[in-house]
Amino acid sequence: MASSAAAAAAPSKLEVLALLRSLLRTAGGFHDYNVREYTKRRALDGFRHNKDLADPSAVAAAFSDGKSQLEVAKRQAIVYSLYAPEVKNVMELKR
Amino acid sequence: MATFTATPARASFALKPVQVPVCKISNVRSVSLPVGSRSFPSLKARRFQVSCAAKKETVDKVCEIVRKQLALPADAVVNGESRISDLGADSLDTVEIVMAIEETFDITVEEDGAQTISSVQNAADLIEELLKKKGA
Repeated sequence: MASSAAAAAAPSKLEVLALLRSLLRTAGGFHDYNVREYTKRRALDGFRHNKDLADPSAVAAAFSDGKSQLEVAKRQAIVYSLYAPEVKNVMELKR
Repeated sequence: MATFTATPARASFALKPVQVPVCKISNVRSVSLPVGSRSFPSLKARRFQVSCAAKKETVDKVCEIVRKQLALPADAVVNGESRISDLGADSLDTVEIVMAIEETFDITVEEDGAQTISSVQNAADLIEELLKKKGA
């Protein structure tokens, strides 16, 4: 138990930013406008909400939570791509 | 005896007018030298533009992205030399700006490339480099 907690030690700033970058990149891969915008917004809001965490175990917990969400997003991107909508969302139409 | 004294007077008399035109000639020569210099300032200006290594419209687009992301007021100065952290951006804002740059210019910025972006000029140079690689 203790070793697994020690293994999930506080991530560095670079790792946190790399996680955010992967989340935003995965979000960009969705074909559905709604899901894409939601994923981007949720990722940024989540990171901003946890911006001032000081406790290293809380930081590690948030980081592992973010990583599991990244896995979910990657899986869903593949599933959504199987059912890509043919009609573009009205928000995506360029004026 | 009288003739002897006369000639030196004449000689000395003759010397004085000769000296004056010599001075005039030398003055004219010194004036003509600056006319001979070529158009060096324009060459220097051309060299400056090449060393910047980023087009003005790229820098302008990056400034526009930064301005929109940080919601800066219209009178805030954003130019090539502005450092993004000085404009009030934290690391999360920097990641968002890099994402917006990727979307606008249709390029992919690598992890280490994204770490080096500290000012608008850095970002514009990186964009130019990646566009060149893509086009090649």
